[in-house]
Amino acid sequence: MLTRHFPLVIVLVIVALALSLPWLLSWTYDQIDWDAVRAPAFSGSHIFGTDEIGRDRLARLAAGTQITLMVAIAAALVSLIVGIAWGATAGWIGGRVDEAMMRIVDGLYALPFMFIVILLMVVFGRSILLVFVGIGLVEWLTMARVVRGQVMTLKQRPFILAAEAAGTPPIMIMVRHILPNIAGVALAYLMLTVPQVVMVESFLSFLGLGVQEPLTSLGILVKEGADDMDMTPLGLLLPGGLLVVILVCLTIEGERLRDRFS
Amino acid sequence: MFGLITRRLLTAIPTLLVIILASFFLMRLAPGGPFDGERPLDQTTQAALQQAYGLDRPLWEQAWLYVSRLVQGDFGPSLVYRDFTVSELIAQGLPISLMLGGLAIVLALAIGVTAGLFAAVRAGKAADKVIMMLATVATALPTFVTGPALALLFGLWLGLLPVSGSGDGAAWLIMPVVALALPVSGAIAKLTRAGLASVLKQDHIRTARARGLSETKILFKHGLRPALVPVASYLGPAAAGLLTGAVVVETVFGLPGLGRYFVQGALNRDYPLVLGVVTLYAALIILFNLFADLIYGWLDPRMREE
Repeated sequence: MLTRHFPLVIVLVIVALALSLPWLLSWTYDQIDWDAVRAPAFSGSHIFGTDEIGRDRLARLAAGTQITLMVAIAAALVSLIVGIAWGATAGWIGGRVDEAMMRIVDGLYALPFMFIVILLMVVFGRSILLVFVGIGLVEWLTMARVVRGQVMTLKQRPFILAAEAAGTPPIMIMVRHILPNIAGVALAYLMLTVPQVVMVESFLSFLGLGVQEPLTSLGILVKEGADDMDMTPLGLLLPGGLLVVILVCLTIEGERLRDRFS
Repeated sequence: MFGLITRRLLTAIPTLLVIILASFFLMRLAPGGPFDGERPLDQTTQAALQQAYGLDRPLWEQAWLYVSRLVQGDFGPSLVYRDFTVSELIAQGLPISLMLGGLAIVLALAIGVTAGLFAAVRAGKAADKVIMMLATVATALPTFVTGPALALLFGLWLGLLPVSGSGDGAAWLIMPVVALALPVSGAIAKLTRAGLASVLKQDHIRTARARGLSETKILFKHGLRPALVPVASYLGPAAAGLLTGAVVVETVFGLPGLGRYFVQGALNRDYPLVLGVVTLYAALIILFNLFADLIYGWLDPRMREE
């Protein structure tokens, strides 16, 4: 388990650190240490030093990771719910309804969605709630396609036909027989959606359109680090490296899970 | 083929119209306007500006006016860059964005197909596993991390490449294009390997082997073409990804491309500029999807529509 799921272990360790560190450190993520602006690593009580206005880097990394992962999980859940509802309905009803619903998905796939999300952020203010609703609404398309395919094959299976013949109402068939059977595949794609969402959230935050100060996220930290990289490269390398590690680990685990179910 | 092209172009018109109208009304719902500066303008100036740009008319009328001018190729004036029309700004920015995106996709195809081919030939061996691991890592590299990291390494520390701006020669293109191409090349490598691995198991390859053809000929003449079908279908999403990636890369490297105008325009409520760029992006993506479908049909004749 430990060696086979090494990437998952890394992610869990990162999550545990992000959750526990704020309690263990003597500095909060927005607290300014006036005596130590741009302190180098391992100076005094700042393990990774401080940023250009004297905030503890490690505390900011922990807080940023928390927000990034929280947004990612919430947005992935939005995409899961919308995707399953859409895909299952299309796959179950079939025929013209299915045709029309899937055409819509195809059409949406072709849109410059990032730009619509950017517009949304600009228009409705940059609340964190909107960040994950917006992202979730972009990422549901793949889920809908996968779920539809699964439901269409399940529909032909004898146990579903038997349930139908026994007069079970469609809602019950859906809840009792179909959903449990697509749970595995849905989980695999959920796992692959999370890194996608992390990427989108960080992208928005990097442009200044996502999570807003005083809250912080890995995207904001990368942006701050990039602006100050000629003075202290650590500011870019730490959050950037952490972000890449999270993305790579989640992608590897997600792909493994997907390959197991397909 | 002409049937496919005309049908696609005809369905593109309503799609574009929906995008334009949706973006138009979305922008107008936003609080704040293009003339909210640091110092508030007095009432009469405000009203005069509103009138000059037609912002005092009913929304539907403005939308209708916008679309009817757009059909004639007029994107309207920029509200923030007062001396320029949106068409002029697009004419300045588009070549840079297209060059970045075009070079990135060529580079990504070159790296991705080569790596995928190599991995498929050595399927199951160490080289295959290493290449596929690298491809996974590459797909997970966001441009906003690789961009600044490359600038730090090659620009600031090694001093080999310019950190920002579009100077003489082509050196300024290297880092932005590499940052853009990396994640796409990873995805292409995976698709090529998967495609080739399944094609090499098929009957026509066995027949070719039985006839004594050389491995290289089998690989390039009979294997690669059908194996690239999944790659072709990925080109549409890849183009969309490159356009969004270009927004970041242009910001990071200070390049005056379309993406930068888009972000600036959105932040400044420059309605015509944002609408113009969104419309153009949508048209480009639709065009690229069509292009990808044509390549698809060329690679795999069974996919051609009757």
